Amino acid sequence: MKAVFLLQWRRFYRKPLLVLAMFGLTVIFVSVTAAGEQSGPQLIPVYADGSMSELQAQTWLERLNSEEQFQFELMPESEARSYVAEGDVSQAVNLLEADYRLLVGREDPARFALDSFLRRIYSEEMRLENAEQTTPGIRAEMESALSGPALTLSVESLQGADDSFQYNGQLQLLFGMTLFFVIYTIMFSLVRIVDEKRAGTWSRMIISPVRKWQVYLGHLGYSFLIGFSQITLIFLLFRFAFGFELGDRFWLLVAIAACYTFSIVALGLLIISLITKPQQLGAVIPIVATGMAMVGGAFWPIELVTNEILLAVSKVLPITYGLQALTSVAVYGNGLQAVAIPLLLLLGFGSICMAIAIRLMEWRSAS
Amino acid sequence: MLETEQLTKKFKDTIAVDDVSLVLRQGESVGLLGPNGAGKSTAIAMISTLMKPSSGDVRLNGESVLKKPGDMRRVLGVVPQKIALYEELSAYENLKFFGRLYGLSGKKLEQRIDYVVELVGLADRKKELVKNYSGGMQRRINLAAAMMHEPEVLIMDEPTVGIDPQSRNHLLETIRKLNREEGMTVLYTSHYMEEVEKLCDRVYIMDHGKVIAEGTKEELKAILSDQETVLIDFDQNYPELFAKLSEIEGVQHAAAEEHSLKLIIPKGTRLLAALFHEAERYGAQVVNVNVQTPTLEDVFLRLTGRKLRD
Ligand SMILES: Nc1ncnc2c1ncn2[C@@H]1O[C@H](COP(=O)(O)OP(=O)(O)O)[C@@H](O)[C@H]1O
Ligand SMILES: [Mg+2]
Repeated sequence: MKAVFLLQWRRFYRKPLLVLAMFGLTVIFVSVTAAGEQSGPQLIPVYADGSMSELQAQTWLERLNSEEQFQFELMPESEARSYVAEGDVSQAVNLLEADYRLLVGREDPARFALDSFLRRIYSEEMRLENAEQTTPGIRAEMESALSGPALTLSVESLQGADDSFQYNGQLQLLFGMTLFFVIYTIMFSLVRIVDEKRAGTWSRMIISPVRKWQVYLGHLGYSFLIGFSQITLIFLLFRFAFGFELGDRFWLLVAIAACYTFSIVALGLLIISLITKPQQLGAVIPIVATGMAMVGGAFWPIELVTNEILLAVSKVLPITYGLQALTSVAVYGNGLQAVAIPLLLLLGFGSICMAIAIRLMEWRSAS
Repeated sequence: MLETEQLTKKFKDTIAVDDVSLVLRQGESVGLLGPNGAGKSTAIAMISTLMKPSSGDVRLNGESVLKKPGDMRRVLGVVPQKIALYEELSAYENLKFFGRLYGLSGKKLEQRIDYVVELVGLADRKKELVKNYSGGMQRRINLAAAMMHEPEVLIMDEPTVGIDPQSRNHLLETIRKLNREEGMTVLYTSHYMEEVEKLCDRVYIMDHGKVIAEGTKEELKAILSDQETVLIDFDQNYPELFAKLSEIEGVQHAAAEEHSLKLIIPKGTRLLAALFHEAERYGAQVVNVNVQTPTLEDVFLRLTGRKLRD
């Protein structure tokens, strides 16, 4: 097994181009595109029309800026409109007395986050207003109560402390592209198994005293390690060289990368057990990689997908859980507990694929 | 030391190997001769534990290898029909890997690499990438790779296909040396008569999955040369005489062609006296009599109705 494993590294050393290309593409793609993405709070122009006094508008603005997710700035309508029209920002907010309107210039994933944020603030505010009318003074009472709570309850969920959708364009891009490109690295390294079977070097290994499972393990071990290293190196590079905020639990990101890599190695093995012609694999692998990445949320956040069928499909794709877990840890700051389920799903998915693949291959070689 | 017993392999629509029983004795050099598609490679795949037979058995020193392939895998070296090497690696790296598969390491491994590259005459070029080698050199490394673990039995599946004459001679010389000087047991597969003739003590001839003839070279030649082809030229065409001659006792086949007659007869048939006697009676003049010994090619043609080579 060791001989087979070491041989793969020697072959990588002699022919490193494909793997380096996948690594390089990820880095180039993320670094170039991330320049256009913001990681800090996004600036959102706000304007009010005649239905609202200057004072009212200011009160709203303070309320909106009381949380740090977005940075709202009050300005005349014409100015806000020109910002949007010129594409400096994607959207602006029109404040109304008991409602709001979004002025959208171009599609931006952040719009959904903004919308959900505004809706939450408005409904809280409306409820307080109603309460104030029946019981005057309740607002002040509540504020003092909130500043000295009798009981602190902390809720942790996959999406973070509250249920609002936080969007971090930089990290979405980094995670999406990394998990996407690494599929190629892993699957094309597994294609070596098919190539060896065709070239006859596989037979040479099988008729040697080395056992067949050891040969497989040597190959799988290599594919796992090359994929895992690619993800880890890219995360390290973007954290330290590009200064991306990856949260405080880097080790957990690495653990997620390992589980994800395992699931993709297993899926790759299943694919090569089903399709045994190298030319066909050359077509199938890109389709699988791109298809999974699109549906699973590597190119745009899965939260934007509303189609029931696509959502259902995404539930069986390992990339969905990989991205979900990475985002949960890096963007929402969650710990192991919050990502235990996606990790178990990844490991389970991988085990099932691997079991089926090995059955198929053995069945085929025995016949 | 190695034998197959009624070895049979059925694929979906063909019987690739049909009831084949071979014996390889210690130190022997045995040829397996047959045209493309005869089932040679399939037989080798089963002997080398790569493929399970549909029925029959393979034995090493009397023990079946089907349940316990371990011993066979240690003593057997197989030179595959295709060049089964890692092209992007050097010859040295390839040999190192194949040696490691057999548990070689360290100094022993290096020594063995030195020995096999010397053996195939590529010692000074072992660090070059296999893909930069000529076809002949690749074939030589293909052999060297099977020699890494000092096999007791070497099986070669058409090792000289698509190779330049120089490399071919070198390869054949090497194999002969291994067999004669080092006592290695060799099973040599080919569809080239001359190679088998040059290398092997005993020969099996295969066609359509079956062994159709076997024996030592001498025995085979005897089988093959128990017939003679006699070509008789006359001064002109004598249809009646030709008909008469075709009926002489012992003549198996006759073919007239203008002024000449071709007769196939068992070896030792006393033809000449009768021939001259009949010619005298018809007033015909015998210009030339030519007796040909059939070649192995001819025999194969006669046994199967086809040529050995495409
Ligand atoms: N894996 C296979 N599946 C089906 N048919 C096969 C397979 N391998 C060989 N054959 C068939 O078995 C016959 C013998 O092939 P082979 O052993 O390669 O002959 P040879 O080596 O003498 O040229 C051929 O007709 C070939 O088409
Ligand atoms: Mg063959």
